[in-house]
Amino acid sequence: MVLALLVTTLGFATLIFVQEAASPPLVYGAYYAGTLFALYVGVRLLLPHSDVLLLPIVTLLTGIGLVMVFRLTYNVEGAETLALTQAVWILIGSGTMFLLVLFFRNYDRLFDYKYLLAIAAVFLIASTFTPLGYTVNGARLWVDLGPVGFQPSEFARIALVVFFAGYLAEKRDVMAATSRGFLGIELPAIKYFGPVALVWAASLGLLVFEKDLGSSLLFFAVPLLMLYVATGRIAYILLGGVLFCFGSFATFLLFDHVQVRVQSWLDPWQDPDGTGFQILQSIFNIADGGLLGTGLGAGFAQTIPEVETDFVFSAIASELGLLGATAILLAFLAFTYRGIKIALLAEDDASKLLSFGLTAMFALQTLIIVGGVTKAIPLTGITLPFVSYGGSSVVGNFILTGLLLLVSERAGRREAEGLAYKKVPWGSP
Amino acid sequence: MGVPLNAHLRRSFYLFAAGFFGLVAMLAYWQVYSREALANNPENGFQTQRSISSPRGLILAGDGETVLAKSVKRETPQGPVYDRVYPLGAPFSNVVGYWSTRYGATGIEIANNTDLSSIAGEPQTLDDLINRATGGPQPGNNVVLTLDPELQELAYQELQGSLTGRGSVVAINPKTGEILAMASSPSFDPNNIDDNYPELASAPDAPLINRATQSLYPPGSVFKMITAAAALEAGVSPEDTFFDSGAYELPGYTVRNFEDKEYGEVTFTRALAYSINVVFAKIAVDIVGAKALTQMALDFGFGDPYDDFPLPVSGSSVNSLPPDQWTTGTLAQTAFGQGEVQRNSFEMALVTAAIANDGRMVEPRLVREVRSPDGIILDKPTASIRRQAIPPGTASTLNEMMQQVIIQGGLTEAEIPGVKVAGKTGTAESGNGNAHSWWITFAPADDPEIAMCVMVENGGRADRGALPLAARLMRAYLEEGV
Repeated sequence: MVLALLVTTLGFATLIFVQEAASPPLVYGAYYAGTLFALYVGVRLLLPHSDVLLLPIVTLLTGIGLVMVFRLTYNVEGAETLALTQAVWILIGSGTMFLLVLFFRNYDRLFDYKYLLAIAAVFLIASTFTPLGYTVNGARLWVDLGPVGFQPSEFARIALVVFFAGYLAEKRDVMAATSRGFLGIELPAIKYFGPVALVWAASLGLLVFEKDLGSSLLFFAVPLLMLYVATGRIAYILLGGVLFCFGSFATFLLFDHVQVRVQSWLDPWQDPDGTGFQILQSIFNIADGGLLGTGLGAGFAQTIPEVETDFVFSAIASELGLLGATAILLAFLAFTYRGIKIALLAEDDASKLLSFGLTAMFALQTLIIVGGVTKAIPLTGITLPFVSYGGSSVVGNFILTGLLLLVSERAGRREAEGLAYKKVPWGSP
Repeated sequence: MGVPLNAHLRRSFYLFAAGFFGLVAMLAYWQVYSREALANNPENGFQTQRSISSPRGLILAGDGETVLAKSVKRETPQGPVYDRVYPLGAPFSNVVGYWSTRYGATGIEIANNTDLSSIAGEPQTLDDLINRATGGPQPGNNVVLTLDPELQELAYQELQGSLTGRGSVVAINPKTGEILAMASSPSFDPNNIDDNYPELASAPDAPLINRATQSLYPPGSVFKMITAAAALEAGVSPEDTFFDSGAYELPGYTVRNFEDKEYGEVTFTRALAYSINVVFAKIAVDIVGAKALTQMALDFGFGDPYDDFPLPVSGSSVNSLPPDQWTTGTLAQTAFGQGEVQRNSFEMALVTAAIANDGRMVEPRLVREVRSPDGIILDKPTASIRRQAIPPGTASTLNEMMQQVIIQGGLTEAEIPGVKVAGKTGTAESGNGNAHSWWITFAPADDPEIAMCVMVENGGRADRGALPLAARLMRAYLEEGV
């Protein structure tokens, strides 16, 4: 707890220091700090046994995200108020999370509606093919809801994790038991595997046709990892790997945009002013940062297209340097660590799988986008959780954090009660 | 519960952790290992962009006050931009250079870019480090030159007023190696270089060339100082007598004196004072030899690249052939600085300074110190000896002989009341037009403060071209304390 408070203070201190260095209106900082501090206190009161580190990390990440979005857009014509919009989204996200924590303390009930959630998720993703959907940067993943655009896949993925967690917890014993062989790999009966594969394939297929490569990768990998955790069978991972190779080769052949992505990853110098421009600018900016960074506001990260969303990490690496970027990565790793720890402490399989699935999604999303902008893997456009500009993403990740907190609350309370119970014989005469 | 989930969870976490550390490694690769290469990549425009969006340091003259180059802020819709301004313009531009985002940079602007630029190089003071870490304003460091601003300005004016208006002056403190003046004419205005560059680059009189260091000429009779040094080393004494018949016939080549004069029997000192080609050719052929003469030229810095000097120096040469393949004709011509000998005024000034400084060649310096914007000295090079070109005794003999050049040669124009002056003329056949006019000199001869080489392209006879010009500069420097 002492450590947690220290981290909270440190998070806020860093935030305020950095914000003042970039000199945005201070009202901003006050609003933002007030909101998240209120949320923190609220959650501490409502869920006294929940994980203490998650919210401070979220505070740190959203704070840095806000600073970076402000820094990258305050002097860009037509986008001056982007940081303000982002702050409003953080507010909405915090509110959503608070409501979630308030009304869904028995999150188990979610598992009762898992099939409904799965169907809803598939429909959410498919909704972009309705007339309300529209295309941004070649990917059709937006739905127009009157005043705001909204990315359904950000929410659908959480619903899917809930479904997989509920289903796998119910069926994991049968799925782990082998009943027949297929190409030398022992597989369970198709009937158990069926619903998982169906939902998985449906959502994946839709995303591929929406040309949302980053989300496709997440939707592919997260259920696979959950399957592995549930059954402990490496065979699933191997099978997944084979499927992945086939799948990616097929998409490579089928879709031009995938070929372009792979080309610009392998050799961006071929077309430095065209397809390779974005990744090269990203690399130049990252290199420009060096060990200590150029200092906030002194870099050229605005040369990267989409810098405030997918490429926000390049801007951080450029202006805060290797040390700053590593610190941010460690914050993400700390979040992942806490998430896994929540899964370890959770009492039932469904809770374990739910918290693991959410954590895996969070970690993989970070790895995929940071790997993409550093040219470690081909670039696929997804947001950096909490840091990138993007309303749906921020709200979605707050919901994710809320669910993790709920799971941790139950485990923490059980532990506390256990301790209280154990203490009785010594404590009372 | 059949299988324990927790083991799988832990394994997955290790997988994620490995991924994160992989990313840190990737970042380190870009930000540390391949940083330089990427920064200098031609597709990367950040260096140029940054160079105009932050102020460069000042370039100051030797008095530490006269501003030769500064950055002036100009507001643009894209934020402030800094223009480079050169208050004194053309007289200093061959040394200071220009700074253009379009045409690159020259002179001290590029040679000391790491100091002047606010971003190149590592932070050098705590303030600098804090400024960089917080993204605050980052002015570059200031570079203080060794140039005497008044002498430099005067030298440039004198060159402008010379017969052809083309030439160079190099003045150096022989003891410290500090360059006091380095003027080149015609010169150019480094202000607004972006607009003027195409015209300047194609101008027939090549104003962008620093004639002091980049132009090579036959040195003519000023080269006799090197032949004389070699002769003294070979055992000739200043009182030894030689007979001049007015001509010296060699296979395929006949040496004649300037204006076909005949001097009869003369001492070695007088032969130098009257600059008698025949005597010097005879000494070179009969006493010194090609090898020793070439070696003496090398000892005086012929062919040195001067890589450490901030400005580019064109390499001087004695001859394209090695000395053992020379004919006697080549040797005779070389002895009085004709033939293939090529030298610039900067290097000739260094020879003069070495004779003045007891034979020690001092490392020439243009930068006195580098200061941070708040005045902290970051770098202050000290005088260092390049090499001992000739023994001190030989140097003092040459010093005496060079004083006799003025006394016995009757070059009264070079005299300064109360000050012993040493010098040597050079009137070098140029191949086209008038002869090149050279004059090397130092003073006071008994305790030299300044050594100088003046060269006027096609300036005609040395005693009417370069000498009076240099004498005025010498007087201004020594008498009026310019």
